[in-house]
Amino acid sequence: MRANLLLLKLASLAAAGAILSVAAGWAAADVVAVISAKNPVTALSRNQVVEIFLGKSSRFPDGSQAVPIDQAEGSAARDEFYTNFAGKSPAQVKAYWSKIIFTGRGQPPRQVPNGVEMLKVIADSPGTIGYIEQSLVDSSVKVLGP
Amino acid sequence: MPIKRGLGHIAEPHILFPAIAVLVLAVIWGATYNLIAAEGAAAEHSAAVSSRELAETYEAQVVRAVREIDQALKFVKYAYEIRGRDVVLSELKARSLLPPDLVFVVSIADSGGDIVASTRPPELSYVATEDYFRIQRDGGTNLAISRPPHVPDSGIWRLQFSRRLTAPDGKFSGIVMVSVDAAYFVSGYETAKLGEHGLLGILGTDGVFRALRSGEKLSAGDTANYANVVTPANETDGEATLSTNEWDGVARYTSARQLYDLPLAVVVGLSADEQLAATRQDMRTYLWRASGASLLLLLIVGMLGRMSKQLAASRRQAVEEQIAHAARVEYLAYHDGLTTLPNRSLFSKLLGQSTAEARRAGRQMAVLFLDLDRFKHINDTLGHEAGDELLQEVAARLKHCLRESDLVARLGGDEFVALLPELNEERYAATVAQKILAAIARPFLLLGQEFRITASIGISIYPQDGLDEQTLTKNADIAMYKAKEEGKNNFQFYSESLNSNSLERLTLESGLRHALEGEEFRLHYQAKWDIATGRITGMEALLRWQHPDLGTVAPMQFIKVAEETGLIVPIGKWVLRTACLQNMAWQEQGLPQLRMAVNLTARQFFDEHLLEDLGAILAAARMAPHLLELEISETLLMRDVEKTLRILAALKDLGIRIAIDDFGIGYSSLSTLQQFPVDTIKIDQSFIRDISTDVAEQDLAGAIIAMGRTLSLTVVAQGVETKEQADYLRQKACDEIQGFYFKRPLPADQISRLLLAQRPDIDTAATRIVAA
Repeated sequence: MRANLLLLKLASLAAAGAILSVAAGWAAADVVAVISAKNPVTALSRNQVVEIFLGKSSRFPDGSQAVPIDQAEGSAARDEFYTNFAGKSPAQVKAYWSKIIFTGRGQPPRQVPNGVEMLKVIADSPGTIGYIEQSLVDSSVKVLGP
Repeated sequence: MPIKRGLGHIAEPHILFPAIAVLVLAVIWGATYNLIAAEGAAAEHSAAVSSRELAETYEAQVVRAVREIDQALKFVKYAYEIRGRDVVLSELKARSLLPPDLVFVVSIADSGGDIVASTRPPELSYVATEDYFRIQRDGGTNLAISRPPHVPDSGIWRLQFSRRLTAPDGKFSGIVMVSVDAAYFVSGYETAKLGEHGLLGILGTDGVFRALRSGEKLSAGDTANYANVVTPANETDGEATLSTNEWDGVARYTSARQLYDLPLAVVVGLSADEQLAATRQDMRTYLWRASGASLLLLLIVGMLGRMSKQLAASRRQAVEEQIAHAARVEYLAYHDGLTTLPNRSLFSKLLGQSTAEARRAGRQMAVLFLDLDRFKHINDTLGHEAGDELLQEVAARLKHCLRESDLVARLGGDEFVALLPELNEERYAATVAQKILAAIARPFLLLGQEFRITASIGISIYPQDGLDEQTLTKNADIAMYKAKEEGKNNFQFYSESLNSNSLERLTLESGLRHALEGEEFRLHYQAKWDIATGRITGMEALLRWQHPDLGTVAPMQFIKVAEETGLIVPIGKWVLRTACLQNMAWQEQGLPQLRMAVNLTARQFFDEHLLEDLGAILAAARMAPHLLELEISETLLMRDVEKTLRILAALKDLGIRIAIDDFGIGYSSLSTLQQFPVDTIKIDQSFIRDISTDVAEQDLAGAIIAMGRTLSLTVVAQGVETKEQADYLRQKACDEIQGFYFKRPLPADQISRLLLAQRPDIDTAATRIVAA
């Protein structure tokens, strides 16, 4: 939420795209994609992460099952994650899943109420993947991507 | 025949090209029309089928989505009715037994309408006033689907699916409901398939749209006449129908299907404008192409037409020129260029026709042969242009004298011929001839001077003077010669006797042509005596013709023919050469020098080569010019004074002597005689003949001699036959005499003897005269 406000402020202060992208880059560092520390997977590209979360892919590169976990709808981390990783607004994500569900081609990821819960779930199950605020990262999880 | 003609016309470019153009245009536009119609139909069919297929897919999706919701409702209802109300939702949610709360909100309301549990914070906390609640409370047993209540400010419409919750005692204990965004049901809208103005919608049997999407535009609550939208035909047919949707006025291929066991129908529409846009674009392209092709075709046909028109025009012009040329050539072939009268060929053709007609009709006909008198003189003195002008005027006058039915033609030179094909009596021919003579006798104005000319006309009559064209013309010609002989300026009818004369003339003419080569000519010489001394002073060369068949022909007979035919020129040259050579031969024999006199006719005199011929002959014979004396007639002098003077002067320059022959019978006056450089006059024998008997003649001869002496001319008397005549002449002091009294003309060898006899300087005859 803070990041969003800041973003808005920055955007209103300086319309220049370069500054905006620097700001976004900085903000991106706030929420990170994570997997269990027990998961043998070491690296995953942003695209691979997004595909798993949008239900387009259900496996890690090594072929093992990948189960995405979402934070609660409306949470700052969730909105930030989809904005930064998939370039989608909350409404777009919702519309996306509406269509997937309606056409019967998939189900949205399971939800957990907050980052702390997500850290627990991820740490416990090696096949899961999720996202948390950078500040919550501990040794039970591995941070993916850049 | 008209059909064949019509077909022939089709092959002509100005019909053929437009016909082909119309045909090709018909093909182009027919093909275009068919193509457009076929593509249009195909596009419409494809849109209709596509609409139908999309509807079927959509139907399945909606049915499944609604069933899933109903399933969740039934599941919650079941769990609730078994387990009690409060824990159910959270338990089910924890076990992921409820539909994803990203889209669906599951809530439970108690019998009073208060929301007592919800997977997410509910939009309404109290639903007792809502339709769906009332329906379930009032004994609903089925799935109820709310009308789309508009949630203020959210910008979305939510649909409520609900089922009744029943307490164990069977009493109403509330409802379980799933709230879902109306957009969910139209989220399957794909612009790629449905376009910007397609339609995806769910229509309740109550005529209210639960959800409606067209492009990015979402709505709910629009109403429609359900019966109009969901028709039995729409249910069963394979194709959608094109109709204008009543809710937004867009024409769509609309398919609607009633959902099984649900109070809903799905409606799918494909905008006609959008679906057919590509085809319509294609149609426009086809129309443009067809128009372009038509324009090009018209242009080409126009150009071809223009070219063929020009070609035809130039071909027509060429043909016209050819015809005109042919007509001109024919005209030239049959007409005299100068007078535009028919020429000889056309005349003989027409005369031939007229002869045949006259024979059939038993008519008489006259041919008038006309020759101008002295035309050659006009031509020679005034030039050819004046001569041509004269001929034209004569032609005009001739035409004027004749009737329309008569024919006048120019045969060449100054010869004209007229045909009077309708002759009732011979007298008419004479009248016409007289008229012509009078017309020609009128003065002509040439080069600003008046000239008079006359004509001679010969007339032959069909049938008595000839039955064919050739004979008639020939006999008219003969009659014309008769007219000439009769002193010109008159006309003569042909008669049989004329023909024999003419035959003789023809024989002479052809004989003359061979006489030179055949060496049939001889020269005889007649001596001239000095009347005082009695000595021979000169000779006159006289031409004799020894014809192999006719014998000796008198000069009187053939000179005229030779003159007319022009044969006189070569003959004359032979005479001059022979005479000169003979004269020199005598000199070489040691005989005394003699003057050699040779007669010249008019034709010879005016011959343009006369002077050079004379020069050449004198040079060849090596004879002194003053020994040559040319005798010309008095009448010749007066024909063209100017020209004659010029020639005479030239002759004098050469040193040649000139004698006037037959002096006294012409018209020359003393004064005119004076201007000519003449050396000698020879008194005509008619004056000499009667001097012994006629006193008047004596005076006349004497006067001529006196006059000659006055002018210092040598005077010669010709035709002296008697002693009396000689005596008289001596008395009058005539210079020389010539005649049978002394010697008649003799061949050269006899003359040689005569001359030799005179050599001892004692001439018996001369002595006799002197003694007398």
